[in-house]
Amino acid sequence: MAVKRDSYIMPTRGVGVRRGMTIRTRRDMFTFLLFVAPNFILLGVFVFWPILYSLILSFFKWNMIAPKKTFIGFQNYQSLFSDPVFWQVTRNTLVLALATVVVKLSISLVLALEMNTDIRGKSFYRAIIFSPTFTTSVAVAMVWSWIFDPHFGLLKVFISPLGLRAPDWLWETEYSLPAVIIVLIWSGIGYDMVLFLAGLKNIPREIYDAALVDGVSPWQNFIYITFPLLSPTTFFLTITSFIGALKAFDIIAIMTDGGPLNSSNVFVYYLYQNAFQWFKTGFASALALILFILIMAITLVQNRLSRRWVHY
Amino acid sequence: MKKRSMVWVLLLAALLLSTSTLWAAAEVEQAPTGPVKIVYWRSLTGVAGDVQEELVAQFNASQDKVIVESQFQGAYAEILQKLLAALAAGEVPDVVLLDSPFVPLFAKDGALFALDNLVKNDKTAFNLKDYIPGLLADGYYDGKLYALPVMRSTPLLYVNGDMLAEAGLPRKAPATWDEFRAISKAVTKYNAAGEMIQVGAGFTLGLTTAHWYFQGAVYAYGGQISDEKFGMHLSEAPAIAAATLWQDMVFKDKTAIPSNSHDDFLNKKVAMVFGSTGSMGNLLSRATFQVIPAFIPGQVQNLVPVGGAVLAMTSNDKWRQQAAWDFMKFMTNAESNAKIVIKTGYMPVTTSAANHPDLVAYFKANPERAVAIDQLKYTRPQASVISLGKGTEILRQMVEKLLIANMDPATVMKETDAALLKEYNESYK
Repeated sequence: MAVKRDSYIMPTRGVGVRRGMTIRTRRDMFTFLLFVAPNFILLGVFVFWPILYSLILSFFKWNMIAPKKTFIGFQNYQSLFSDPVFWQVTRNTLVLALATVVVKLSISLVLALEMNTDIRGKSFYRAIIFSPTFTTSVAVAMVWSWIFDPHFGLLKVFISPLGLRAPDWLWETEYSLPAVIIVLIWSGIGYDMVLFLAGLKNIPREIYDAALVDGVSPWQNFIYITFPLLSPTTFFLTITSFIGALKAFDIIAIMTDGGPLNSSNVFVYYLYQNAFQWFKTGFASALALILFILIMAITLVQNRLSRRWVHY
Repeated sequence: MKKRSMVWVLLLAALLLSTSTLWAAAEVEQAPTGPVKIVYWRSLTGVAGDVQEELVAQFNASQDKVIVESQFQGAYAEILQKLLAALAAGEVPDVVLLDSPFVPLFAKDGALFALDNLVKNDKTAFNLKDYIPGLLADGYYDGKLYALPVMRSTPLLYVNGDMLAEAGLPRKAPATWDEFRAISKAVTKYNAAGEMIQVGAGFTLGLTTAHWYFQGAVYAYGGQISDEKFGMHLSEAPAIAAATLWQDMVFKDKTAIPSNSHDDFLNKKVAMVFGSTGSMGNLLSRATFQVIPAFIPGQVQNLVPVGGAVLAMTSNDKWRQQAAWDFMKFMTNAESNAKIVIKTGYMPVTTSAANHPDLVAYFKANPERAVAIDQLKYTRPQASVISLGKGTEILRQMVEKLLIANMDPATVMKETDAALLKEYNESYK
């Protein structure tokens, strides 16, 4: 595509706007800046400045009430790394993210493959599976709290006849995190399935026809054609789901409060507790920075790994 | 040229905007003409919220010097969060409905305005001695008064009378923790498969309630959680006795369960639960059986921690402070207070409110509600550690370690003492 000299599209390599800037372009540049300024100022005030300020706060001890903030250097980071709850929360977060992403994507891929065939009442099923996506997370959490009830919960009705013990999901330390994971998976499947469906529709019909002529089995069909050609969608969903799971908050806040004994506490909720329930602004800011680095690192690693298995 | 004129328009708009904010800033310095407008941050929903709105409207109509704008800010915890943000931004309301243990937290860093001079210079019939001492006590920090009691509650025990009668017991709430344990044993039933049908008691593990009922048990045994100087007393015999009793009931007797809501009580799964006086209306109206509201059991004594909210002043302007004072006095006067008590089940905060004819008549007609008033004699402020930001959480985890993880009480209490002390030294002192 040719880049017009006057346009404000970012110049591609070798076509410099700067080279030979006329008075006219310079004046246009001024107008350009003037028009993007409102946006940039807003972003600056509400995004960049808070990020920077949070970084600064992480070196202070401040309860948000005291007029004076005390500089304590790296002490927040020190107490953070020696805080057993921090490590527990980090582990919980990673377990939650990993379990959610793997299980949720597998189920939604299977559902999408099913929904892509010519079964009767397809759109009805699609609508049902998609419905958790547009349900408020507060309502989801409330309903699931009832389902998990150890005495008259819906889940007990299914588990007890199998001769299994129905656990007190939200009040046993081994079951609270799985309970949260189950709800997160349930509420995320619909959205992922729709994206997978879109991805499936994008795979050219001819490839399957050719494969049919060559006589491939349905399994080979999936392994050698569908899965590789779906990989951009899978990649996108992996990254967004992972980030989404790392930021899980609402379901946990309503169902478990991070308890019992921090067994279902995760990074973002622990951050919230520190900042707004316990008034430890500096500590919470340090946590936020660690989370930022964590998300960044995971995304970079996934990006790097993706070169091996994603085919555009 | 079109573009250039656009630039000028934008510049002009920016200029106007900045000058108007300058004018607004200058305005604050002038003495007020006409009525003073103040902002009141309220909490609570349902009848407890409506009665505040009603009183604000009544106050606004009753005089023309002050106009109160009432703003709903969510639950107690949310008010705290918003107040923190408001303080950081320097845009504070004038009067706040504050969860009572948090008065010291805000007072110690100068976020609240001390009321002593307003009390001293008050020319009306206002009398500070009219307030019930146990309820006024937690409005003080460092010898200065920062808050007036308003929507105060105490923890109560709610008993399912029908379940007691079924087990052949009299329809009477337990007077001591030993009786509490015995009744629990008598009403508990398991089926042949070992599945629970009903148990004696549910111990609340809610974020803001777990510590409250536990405090009640510790005080009954004659102990305390922490003193005013932040000495910790959980590793002492009374607290350990209370903790052991709770734990034994869950794991040895299997006559109690940890539970987070009143649903188990309303569904007849547990015979006794703890609750605020504020829950009384709700439980009485929803239960399909006889509910007996009763004191928290005693042991060596009857003593319970007062909860609920106080009115605190955050105004930073002297005209608005005077206006806010008038409003606070109105909200806590006998007339208003009697109205609050009748509508919600909260407790009267002044002697004159308790003797108000409306209230006297009301308690005569609804004798079961009078238990809250009777228990008023046995109240004390909450443990000092509750005002540490993380105090409630540390205590909740203590209860969870006792009732969910089944850890040794002596160890748990020692750990909790240490955690509370560490928190105090790090974030409060």
